[in-house]
Amino acid sequence: MRLVEALISALMVAGLYATMSYGLALIYGVRKVINIANAGTMTLGAFVTLLIWQATGLDPLLCVFIVGPLFFFVGALIEVFLVRRVAAQAPIISLLLLFGVLLVIQAATSLVFGGDVRSVRPAYIESVVKLGDITLAYNRLAVFFSGLVILVGLELFLRNTFLGRAIRALAQDVEACQLAGIDTKRVSMIAFGIGTALSGAAGCLLTLVFAFDPTNPFGVLQLKSFTIIVLGGLESVVGVAFASFVLALAENVTVTLWKAQLENLVSFVLLVVVLVVMPGGLAALLRRRGVA
Amino acid sequence: MAAVLEIRGLAAAYGDLQALWDVTFDVPERAITTLLGSNGAGKTTTLRVVSGTLPATSGEVRIAGERVTGRSAHHIVDLGVVQVPEGRHLWPNMTVEDNLLLGAYSPRARSARVATIGEVYALFPRLAERRRQLAGTLSGGEQQMAAIGRGLMAKPTVLMLDEPSLGLAPILVDEVFRVLSEICEQGTTVLLVEQNAHRALELAATATVLENGRTVLAGPARQIADDPKVRSAYLGL
Repeated sequence: MRLVEALISALMVAGLYATMSYGLALIYGVRKVINIANAGTMTLGAFVTLLIWQATGLDPLLCVFIVGPLFFFVGALIEVFLVRRVAAQAPIISLLLLFGVLLVIQAATSLVFGGDVRSVRPAYIESVVKLGDITLAYNRLAVFFSGLVILVGLELFLRNTFLGRAIRALAQDVEACQLAGIDTKRVSMIAFGIGTALSGAAGCLLTLVFAFDPTNPFGVLQLKSFTIIVLGGLESVVGVAFASFVLALAENVTVTLWKAQLENLVSFVLLVVVLVVMPGGLAALLRRRGVA
Repeated sequence: MAAVLEIRGLAAAYGDLQALWDVTFDVPERAITTLLGSNGAGKTTTLRVVSGTLPATSGEVRIAGERVTGRSAHHIVDLGVVQVPEGRHLWPNMTVEDNLLLGAYSPRARSARVATIGEVYALFPRLAERRRQLAGTLSGGEQQMAAIGRGLMAKPTVLMLDEPSLGLAPILVDEVFRVLSEICEQGTTVLLVEQNAHRALELAATATVLENGRTVLAGPARQIADDPKVRSAYLGL
């Protein structure tokens, strides 16, 4: 029974993991840059949620509807005024630039909010849902379903709209996009905006599950995002969702059956193992076996 | 015949390497024009400059009389000049149908996409059979059909094709050339870059020969085909 609970509990956290990782994958796809500022915008998302909740008592899950659009513009501005200017240069330049953005965001958050550990605790935070013998935390369920709704929505958008298809196409062949009449600059900007909106939304969700300060747990979560996109591949929502679940499950099983201190180690080990044993991640592994 | 595409004194460079020095020719309306020349003569570069993916350092491109040099690539597509690039450049992890639909991205083509995709499937029944398949899994010939189909989805007034027969079996080359004449008969102007000069000159009404980034010959295809220089250099006669 402990294993079943670990399994379900893992599924719950996976909703958050997938939301925070997919933005990274989306931005890498169209711009071929690693958005290291992802952790920063996630931090901001969490603190904006805290502010809104303190001021109005609005549920953190509903804050997604404010933070998402707001962060879309933040991301679009970062793309137009920073990333685009260094796009033609070596990848390390954009990496350093975005690292700078991350540091600025963290420093600014510390300055405004101080270094104290914060949490958002709506009335239902202690509630549980019982399914037979299995007890599930209500907040984790809520985070899971929110993440699921966000990802399904994203997948439908990417598959069924012209703009969504253009974003996928841009990740695969830029020249073909230009020749098909796609305004690649505009699509890059929008994709960066959506990726940043996802990190902001992940920040909202996170407040329901973790206590946080300007650097924790965002740094560790950033690393987990890297593990997830390396494992899940950079071009598929399904791959990212699946990798999120694999990571969350591995962590949960380790914590439940072994030692809680090992939780963060799991993603580091997984990252190294994946890079060494199966570069290309699960998608490449499945392709080699002729499954996908 | 009015020229729908006019290219005047075009020069362009990749960094410090100048690829075009002085390219000048007209593409008459509703006919097939072929652009010939050996490797490195500047054929692909010329198409790039016309498409707006490479800037011109001097000279100009006019579409239906309007100067378009310096416009971005998506504007050129909006104006109806569409390129089917060498090597097909399909999006390999998207379905054939998604590849085709994205060809109709420009607002002008988008509203007509349902009718246009029907026409493309009529022209290439093979693509209709494979519409749900990922483009990367198609054979070389099918990929070329998909690339041409994607170009047609943009409702071009001028369709430019870069080496569409490259790497195809002879029977598929026949198919490609048959389709090109059909496209032209339906009213679309075709600008064809070909290594198979013999076939291209048979098909085309007018021809231009480039050498080291310069136009060296231009005129009716029959006249070019009879030029002794062309016969020895490109036709092996």
